[in-house]
Amino acid sequence: MTIHESVLDGLTDVRSHKLRTLLQTLGVVLGVASLVAVQGLVDAGRRRTLEFWSETGGLTKLLIVNRPPKELKITARQLASRSLTWDDAQAIKNEVPWARLVDPIASTRLTVRYGDYQKARDVSAATPDYPSVYKFYPARGRFLTQDDLESQSRVAVLGDTAARTYFGNEDPMGKTLYIGDVGFTVVGVMKRKEFYFNDGDHNALEWMNRQTFIPLTSLYTRFTGDASRRVNYINVVVDKAENNRKATEAARGVLLRRHGGVVDFEVMNRGDRLARAEEQGRVFDLTFLVTGIVSLVVGGIVIMNIMLASFQERVREVGVRKAIGAKGTDIAVQFLVESILVTCIGGALGLVLGVGFAKGITELLGEPAVITPKMALVGVVASVATGLFFGMYPAFKAARLNPVEALRYE
Amino acid sequence: MAHAAGYPAGSDAGAIIRLQDVHKVYDAGENAVHALRGIDLSVEAAEYMAIMGPSGSGKSTLMHILGCLDVPTAGEYLLDGTPVSRMSSRELARIRNRKVGFVFQSFNLLPRATTLRNVELPMLYAGIGRGERRERGLEALRKVGLADRAKHLPAQLSGGQRQRVAIARALVNSPAILLADEPTGNLDTRTGQELLGIFDELHAQGHTVILVTHDMNVAAHARRIIHIVDGLVADGTSSALEAEGAVA
Repeated sequence: MTIHESVLDGLTDVRSHKLRTLLQTLGVVLGVASLVAVQGLVDAGRRRTLEFWSETGGLTKLLIVNRPPKELKITARQLASRSLTWDDAQAIKNEVPWARLVDPIASTRLTVRYGDYQKARDVSAATPDYPSVYKFYPARGRFLTQDDLESQSRVAVLGDTAARTYFGNEDPMGKTLYIGDVGFTVVGVMKRKEFYFNDGDHNALEWMNRQTFIPLTSLYTRFTGDASRRVNYINVVVDKAENNRKATEAARGVLLRRHGGVVDFEVMNRGDRLARAEEQGRVFDLTFLVTGIVSLVVGGIVIMNIMLASFQERVREVGVRKAIGAKGTDIAVQFLVESILVTCIGGALGLVLGVGFAKGITELLGEPAVITPKMALVGVVASVATGLFFGMYPAFKAARLNPVEALRYE
Repeated sequence: MAHAAGYPAGSDAGAIIRLQDVHKVYDAGENAVHALRGIDLSVEAAEYMAIMGPSGSGKSTLMHILGCLDVPTAGEYLLDGTPVSRMSSRELARIRNRKVGFVFQSFNLLPRATTLRNVELPMLYAGIGRGERRERGLEALRKVGLADRAKHLPAQLSGGQRQRVAIARALVNSPAILLADEPTGNLDTRTGQELLGIFDELHAQGHTVILVTHDMNVAAHARRIIHIVDGLVADGTSSALEAEGAVA
């Protein structure tokens, strides 16, 4: 007897016991639904994180920050080290072959003034690589150029919110903005950056719109007079994700050498961070996974129970089938196919329900719902496995029935 | 009538069934029930035989062994030349499928399967393809006069019709023997007589038919009757055929 024929027989049986089948499937429906929903939420969450990251440099971005030593006693060597500098950034650009973009940033609080507006603001001193790193481009005018950098120009580029804050309804282009009493000509206004997570009205990238950019060199010569040209952090964008590790190591090597062996910096790698985030997320996933599995086990036990309860009425059928030539394996396959059929019906309902759950939750969180093939796969695998596992005992019990006794059974 | 005369007396040459000193003991131990206590029996191909006996005589046990539903505790059974006494349950299933056709007292059709599906079932277990199955299933139904009932469920048929479906199912794999256990037990007299007419016809067509019954009127259709008493074959002398000396 082929599987195909067993399925036909099973369908006949399921059709004649619609209510029983429905009750049998309930546990599986809930189990599969929760597994599918979890998969959906995990996928949605991961996709959202990656999207956010790609707005701020992508997975290939390394972030190098200052990390002053924590020890109370600081050695002379540590004192000699000057933290991250622009020269460090240039060394990385020259020596790390996988570094595609290197973007050092120094941020300083300075008084910004235009007309009636006057307030202390963070001013970002940057290099021309900045827009490419953050996918952050001018809406009008231009960003800082290599010329600006070399000539320490007095030019400024504003984020959209910053422009509105300083200039109100006026057109900022070409106007003179006073930063720490030095006049800077506004040469560009950036496009707005927006990214909304769950709650929907908090722009996670608003900080970028509030920025005021000036050339890195202008900061040193006109304000800080910092001969060692220190920076707050350095963004490095690697050419390919596979090279993240190598680039991280290489950058660390360059810095270590330049800092006389003092580790007063940290190179953070987004690939590692993603892995860490997923590791943390896994605990959360596990809770749902366990819930789903518990429902499936309960559902499976219900199915097994009902199969055993209705076993008596089928003993004779098994006897007849055996009398006309069914082997034990034929009977076992028939029973297994039936239980898998029941769980698959439950699984299909659970899939629909789970997709609904995932959709509902993501909508509540204000995120677009995602339906991935992985969700369907999870549903199918879970249903078949449940049917197979819990159908096993009734199936073998039926297969082992003695035909003479089974036929005599009233 | 092809076999009206002439089985060579005492010869086993054409025997389709041959039992030698077959014993069956249930529940070995203190409560052992000795159901069969040394049966010797041979049945020729195309014979029409009835097995009679009161309840508890061992005739059901004998039928189970003849039908390969069970194996003897001791002794030898050759079915169509194949020794089946010590076969595994898997091999027995195969023998039941190909060599034995069962007709039961209570019809034993699968209630949720159509008439045709019921008849196709033995072919399913024989691994016969869909097209051939359908063709042969319909042909078997035609033989018992129920070709127009192929799509009906058993519950939609009368008792006599159900038993005819069961006969079609029993015959569909062209078995060596047709084994009927009280086939008219659940039918009224007239329907029962009609049904026995079908067995008569099958015998006439050359099938080996064995009826197991306690009803003399049913047994009378057979050409040879054996009586089982206390697990042994009693003197086998009441068939018309034997009276003519055709069978020793």
